[in-house]
Amino acid sequence: MGIAAEIVRLLEEGFDTIGQVRILRTGGGFDLRHVDDAGRGDLHVWCRPEEARQIAASDDAGGYRPLKTAPNLRRGWSLRVSGAEELRLALDFLYPAMIGTFLEWRAGGLMPVPLRETLGRQTGMYRVTVRITDAQAGELIAEHCKLEGGCLRKILWSLSAETPLKGLSPAKTDPDGVREGEIPLLCAEACNLLVAAARPVAKQTPPSK
Amino acid sequence: MQSKPNSALVIVGHGSTVNPDSSAPTHLHADAIRVRGLFGEVHCCFWKEEPSVREVLRMVDRDDIYIVPNFISEGYFTDNVIPREFGLEGPMTVRGGRLLKYCEPVGSHASMTRVLLHRAREATPGVDPARTAFLIVGHGTGLNDNSAKAAKEQAARLRTETDYAEVLSTYMEEPPLVADWATLTSAPNVVVVPFFISDGLHSYQDIPVLLGIEEEAGAAASQRGVFRHNPHSLHGRALYYASAIGTEPMIADVILEQVAQFDRTHAA
Repeated sequence: MGIAAEIVRLLEEGFDTIGQVRILRTGGGFDLRHVDDAGRGDLHVWCRPEEARQIAASDDAGGYRPLKTAPNLRRGWSLRVSGAEELRLALDFLYPAMIGTFLEWRAGGLMPVPLRETLGRQTGMYRVTVRITDAQAGELIAEHCKLEGGCLRKILWSLSAETPLKGLSPAKTDPDGVREGEIPLLCAEACNLLVAAARPVAKQTPPSK
Repeated sequence: MQSKPNSALVIVGHGSTVNPDSSAPTHLHADAIRVRGLFGEVHCCFWKEEPSVREVLRMVDRDDIYIVPNFISEGYFTDNVIPREFGLEGPMTVRGGRLLKYCEPVGSHASMTRVLLHRAREATPGVDPARTAFLIVGHGTGLNDNSAKAAKEQAARLRTETDYAEVLSTYMEEPPLVADWATLTSAPNVVVVPFFISDGLHSYQDIPVLLGIEEEAGAAASQRGVFRHNPHSLHGRALYYASAIGTEPMIADVILEQVAQFDRTHAA
């Protein structure tokens, strides 16, 4: 079954939310909107799935959203799309790769990558990130990835193959810790924003001899 | 190009954490190709934005996948970062029962010459090429590896294939410097086309200052009129400044040509 058909099946199972987006079935298709705009009738209506990119591009203050899973999706819009394929496209623009990641996790095939493996793979200007200490990494993740103001994804990766991440709340790490009907946003590997943020921190640590 | 309903196309862009204009051309080329229905599905992924190179294949249904880097030249990203992040082993990689076909970057295709020519003509309506100098501006540092070489090759092709009075490849940070355009050229008209994949900080902020169009770098915003006030009268010449070559809709065709070239090169 293709991803578009899988999304329809998820809706039939009762899923109606992903991140800050509510998905409603309408007569001819689907209506997407911010969860906090569920009952509003004064929304700006968009009709093309590609317009989801414009919706996701900036927050309510007009600031650029480089991280689409940040909890700052703007409000005041309704995106009406027809058919499963358009829905797939729109959701992929609002929350890139998140449906596919969830489906893979649910099927038991998602393989989270430990942070040490991600950092160890870096080259060029990010090679230095391997020098970050476990304590520094813990502090960085707690600040950078926090649910409030950081990122809504649930972290599934560990610090290293042997060391789990410490100090994060279950709400940040438990994929099942979402409201009924909500598709969790899952983080299978540290993103490049975190890797970039690790660079100045790691540079404080002298190279091991 | 022959229709490929059983294949997916994945276009890889750089993206940016600070500039919303960076990924826009890559998305627009993907939209244009998607509408044509040539592939079963069309996706984008990015180094600095989502979906990442690491994540994108989770949304891909097909098992036959063409990967085209939307980069201006071969270099660090196409040789190192993209293969590493996808886990590629060469032009063809079988992973998880899927065939990943790694194509050449957009900017290195021979048809880019046609795209550059189109962009220059579009920026200079009614202007005689025989009385016009054509300047390509590349970045030109070690960071961009082969972009300077690619710009130079394009200039050489344009010099022999068109009737422009002069054709030069210039750079922001190494000679011949674009800032010296007035002394490098002698034609009464000068058209400048940035050899960049998007209208990022370089084409919107840095190059206009180097050209003398603007006194200082302004906000990097698509609403600014850098490209709409042609020609600029400077040093007794008419200077025409075009937007980055990567924003040209014809790039969608170059992406398709890279796929076709892959098929020709790696025919079963």
